[in-house]
Amino acid sequence: MRVDVDESRLRKWLEEAEEARRIRKAMANWEFIEKQVPRVREALKYYIETGDIRRASVLAGMDIEDFRELLRRANIPVVV
Amino acid sequence: MVSSEFAIADTCFLIDWARYRDILFKVFNVVFIPETVLREVKSEGTITWIASRLTENKLALYTEVENEVEEARRLVEISRRIPHTLPIDLPEAICLIVGRVRGYVVLTENKGAIMISEVINEYRDVAVWRALEVLLTAHLTGVLNIDCSDPLKHFMEYQEDTLHIFPRRDITGVRNLIESRCR
Repeated sequence: MRVDVDESRLRKWLEEAEEARRIRKAMANWEFIEKQVPRVREALKYYIETGDIRRASVLAGMDIEDFRELLRRANIPVVV
Repeated sequence: MVSSEFAIADTCFLIDWARYRDILFKVFNVVFIPETVLREVKSEGTITWIASRLTENKLALYTEVENEVEEARRLVEISRRIPHTLPIDLPEAICLIVGRVRGYVVLTENKGAIMISEVINEYRDVAVWRALEVLLTAHLTGVLNIDCSDPLKHFMEYQEDTLHIFPRRDITGVRNLIESRCR
């Protein structure tokens, strides 16, 4: 199946995604993150890299609302 | 930007909208919540708020029909087939399908869903709003008072409350629009 994609807009979005990743990484409280149990720590790192809260919360074994609260405690922003 | 009669919200939007939730119902007559989205909401505070607004008919449950779910699954697959795109999942895909088919404004903070509406031509006409667009509309329609001495007050409050960051370019655009109302 062919999908009609606007390539120039896609490039713009990919640049924005990279900028968002950089902001999440720079603002995160890494001391807090490294103190977490491995499952939660890796989920937070996954979120920083991808911005994907649903998969990150599954990795952490938490529901989305609890994981969203954890992001606040780890000072990881939602960049939209 | 004009307000719309109906909107449909995804999970993250509802969770993060705590402080400003009731402004939604001054911008939209009814905000629908797909059953798929409702299943992801767990906290007592959010459930209590949803239940009370369902009672007041400000929120409404959206029961997805089989062909909408099937189309949403197709959209999820598409989002994973385009290299480097931010993937979406079924709850936000259902919101996008309903936005396209029924013309509802899609309320989301999911960057993948926002990207779909800009990148895939079939979804270019879907209105996808973040908190930023809802707050802007609330200002432009008089739901929120414009403070000309601090035009971004509510946007900054929202960012601080929720630890959201809006792109600088978008915030500049919002400032210009609101300041034009102060001249």
